[in-house]
Amino acid sequence: MTTTPPTLALPGQLLGPAARYQPGPGTHLHDANLYASLLGQVHITQPARAPGPAKRLTKITPAPAPAELPTISVAVAASNTLPPGAERDVNKNKNKRREVLPEVGNVVLCRVIRITPRQAVVAILVCGDTVLEAEWQGLIRVQDVRATEKDRVRIYESFRPGDVVRAEVISLGDQANYYLSTTRNELGVVLAVSEAGNTMQPVSWKEFRDPETGAMELRKVAQPQPE
Amino acid sequence: MTDRRRINGPAGATVPPIFDDAGLQDLTSSKGRSRAPNAIRKMYLKTGVTPSASGSAYLEIETSATPGVSGLKLSCSVHGPRSLPRSAPFSPHIVLSTHVKYAPFATKQRRGYLRDPSERDLGIHLEAALRGAIIADRWPKSGVDIIISIVEGDQDREASRLQGDEVWDMMNALSGCITVAAAALADAGIDCVDTVAGGVAALVQNAGEDSTPTIVVDPIPSEHERILAACCVAYLPTRDEVTNLWFRGDLPASDLDLYTSLVEKGIQASKNANRVLVGCLSETVE
Repeated sequence: MTTTPPTLALPGQLLGPAARYQPGPGTHLHDANLYASLLGQVHITQPARAPGPAKRLTKITPAPAPAELPTISVAVAASNTLPPGAERDVNKNKNKRREVLPEVGNVVLCRVIRITPRQAVVAILVCGDTVLEAEWQGLIRVQDVRATEKDRVRIYESFRPGDVVRAEVISLGDQANYYLSTTRNELGVVLAVSEAGNTMQPVSWKEFRDPETGAMELRKVAQPQPE
Repeated sequence: MTDRRRINGPAGATVPPIFDDAGLQDLTSSKGRSRAPNAIRKMYLKTGVTPSASGSAYLEIETSATPGVSGLKLSCSVHGPRSLPRSAPFSPHIVLSTHVKYAPFATKQRRGYLRDPSERDLGIHLEAALRGAIIADRWPKSGVDIIISIVEGDQDREASRLQGDEVWDMMNALSGCITVAAAALADAGIDCVDTVAGGVAALVQNAGEDSTPTIVVDPIPSEHERILAACCVAYLPTRDEVTNLWFRGDLPASDLDLYTSLVEKGIQASKNANRVLVGCLSETVE
């Protein structure tokens, strides 16, 4: 049976047997068949690298058996919610993306809302490359600020309200908060404003400097990433 | 509970004045079903009508052939997935909340601004129907609100008597709610295992007490002398599963097959409605 999957899918539409594709986003598995679970266009992604000669294994890893199958996914088509007679808003609606929830392992950008000696409460604004439509609350606990000398960490020497922080999601957390962590070099404060109100520049792994007044302020600084 | 915060209209039914015209007597007497017993009314479905919502849909069911009988007009908007309120407990699934509200002017009997028990009931039935269709664990810690306004209820405004048919109207409204909510959910991009659609079948008795009852789909209470029983089914066609079944009425105990055949007819009505839904969604995606 070599039927090609449809280009457009409705929820519940059969996409193909599970033996031929790996389920991607927007699909689900039922009775060894893959079905669409979203309304949109079907994309088939070939596996990232061809299964070439494997390197000599230095450690035992789980067999990457299903990785050779192409991944099938359904993505919501852009501008599908165009209201009648709203031609001017085409560009705005084209940019409308599906809402993404923060997941464990995602790197997110967030703004610090308030700090206490034990934690910093943040609002998650960007998840991966997607600007979230809803604002989700996150928490950076004092033991998750950096990997070393955890007992010497002070929240007020790491974050201030208003800072923009790059962090990693480590847990879905409790009912209200995602738990975030900045224990890697490239994670931490990326944008900070001094007490004088100027945008500061990072000068070391724990300091920002105000370019106008020259004052130094302590932060958990994210290592600047090359563009 | 009384609504003290708004200016409420007069309680009670509002009936447009009927003048004793010769032509009108025709209308009131033109009763009876104009469709085949297994044909549903024509419906119009469109997604993406509310720009501010994540997903939305509008459903209109044809007015029956009798003038003065209004059709069903539903507007559904889906908001979310969005974060749960701080007071809500942790949920590994999406939390579904459904609100069904009749507009104050939707039915002959004026509705208040607050939801009354029958509207809450509709919301609960709708939630049960949709919960079987959505894949809830794709969206942990989030909630989605499904809000349906019944802009025009499915009621015969000319009928002088209220035949105790409120519950039968609610069934038609529920089946419309299910279909329109499925379209809005697909528009919002919330994972569903299938497109769920609602269908109603009823056991009716026409003219005369002694005639044999027949099963019709998509009943209009004013077209029949008496409705003995009715069921509203929410059905997933590719899965061949029923997610919600609402059965009401009296069946003669002698006929055991009547129950199953009524449900089967309901499924058939739901399949017909699903065809409209699929057509609407493929139009949306193109």
